[in-house]
Amino acid sequence: MNALLGPIDHAGRIPPTQQTRVAAFLMSAHGAQARQLAITMPMRLSEPWQVELHAQYCRELEILSLLARATSWVPDPQLAFLLWRWEQTWLPRPMPGAADHMHGLLVDMAALGHAIHAGVRPAALLPEDAAPLDPFVQAMRRIEFESGRLLQAQIVFLKGPQLSDVRDAVAGAVERRHEEVRELWTSMLQSLNVGAD
Amino acid sequence: MPWLECNSRRIHYELTGPEDGPACVLVNGLTQYIKLWLPFRDTLVARGFRVASYDMLGQGQSDKPRLFIEQDEQVNVLRDLIAALGPSPVFVGGISFGGVIALRYAIEHPDTIAGLVPMSSFAEIPPQLMRLGMAMRTALILGGTTYLQDLLFPMNFSNAWLEAKADLIGLATHRGWLINDVYALQNLMDSFLTFEPLTAKLPLIRTPTMIMTGEFDFLVPRPLQDSLRANIPDSALVIIPHAYHAFTLERAELAADLMARFARDVMAGRWYGKKSIWVAPDEPGGEITPFPAGFDHLRSIPIRLPEPQTSETAPQRESAW
Repeated sequence: MNALLGPIDHAGRIPPTQQTRVAAFLMSAHGAQARQLAITMPMRLSEPWQVELHAQYCRELEILSLLARATSWVPDPQLAFLLWRWEQTWLPRPMPGAADHMHGLLVDMAALGHAIHAGVRPAALLPEDAAPLDPFVQAMRRIEFESGRLLQAQIVFLKGPQLSDVRDAVAGAVERRHEEVRELWTSMLQSLNVGAD
Repeated sequence: MPWLECNSRRIHYELTGPEDGPACVLVNGLTQYIKLWLPFRDTLVARGFRVASYDMLGQGQSDKPRLFIEQDEQVNVLRDLIAALGPSPVFVGGISFGGVIALRYAIEHPDTIAGLVPMSSFAEIPPQLMRLGMAMRTALILGGTTYLQDLLFPMNFSNAWLEAKADLIGLATHRGWLINDVYALQNLMDSFLTFEPLTAKLPLIRTPTMIMTGEFDFLVPRPLQDSLRANIPDSALVIIPHAYHAFTLERAELAADLMARFARDVMAGRWYGKKSIWVAPDEPGGEITPFPAGFDHLRSIPIRLPEPQTSETAPQRESAW
């Protein structure tokens, strides 16, 4: 098991098989975020927080577009099964103990967003000698950097005063989502002979 | 790799040195992790101390709570680690954020340690420090860990060190970026949003206390550290010449030597803090000298004090220094 992606080729590029599976995972995760944001967001924005939601939505689309274009895609027979498994995990599961169903869904969406943006660090897996100007390498770095910013909306919401009464339940929901995302991310990397921990 | 269980959290720690030696527990600053104590630790071990260093909750390889980290939890971790060290005398040293945790520990558990060494630390957050802290938090949010580190390097180190270590700073930044997580650092910073000043509780610290401050520390300026001296009964302030905020890294051997000498003096019954003020030598083992009588130690310009010298500002040499 290698600690990092690779071995890189003579031009410093990550092997296309690894690019494909890592990018597919990221597209699945960020695609789920984009879908959930699109459903939650009204056509006409009327509240200040909805503006932030819109910004998040656009940044998630940017990540999807970037991955689609920066990845050297190759056929991956296992992807169909993996995608099915990943997508099952992203399905909304309202937080137990929430005031109502919608409230529970919102917390779960934010918890999943927190787990994806904080727990998935693709740039940390790049070898030191990976070509810094390679589009895939740049995409990994950009996605990790943007995730740190995207995370802020989830932090503000999940740590906000409106959820202080159910703080333990919220912390539990976030912890659960982190564990799920970590398990998927780790097992996907292990399937590429890369150890994330 | 040893782990400490504290309230279902896993804490990564290292224990080095003779098992029967007096113990030193080292508490990290904000973006630090265990390995950064190595030269400091090795100096203490070479002087016969058993050294415990650890990643605070939210740091390094210790558990990183996703949403909330309370400073009380950090104090509980320190409590459990000290309890695990057994009956030997324990000296606690903490740098910056870690110094705050050490101070809180000494306030809440005054009779459990033999000595306290707050370094570059503080008990209150006046506007300058609050605004600096908020600016660093914004840097972390907008620019990530790397940008925060870019800011911290010139705040923490001298020109000479930055110049000499120029080749290593990129590597150190990369390691810091790898081992730290934005959300965890943010949680650590957020634990100061509800910070209540500790100053009024400092007189509860009955433990011998040596406060170490860098001569040129502008991140936590000297008046903040002097307030520890003025309020902790058995304390002394030691000014480290030419040092900035992170002298446990830049002047590790000197700072560790001072901590070792402090601990030896306490154990030998030679320590008399008396809220005195001292100037550290330039090198380990050198003479520690009283701050010149009649001058204001809070000023860079040598201003004579209006009052005649007092026992607080011009101590008699009563220790083995």
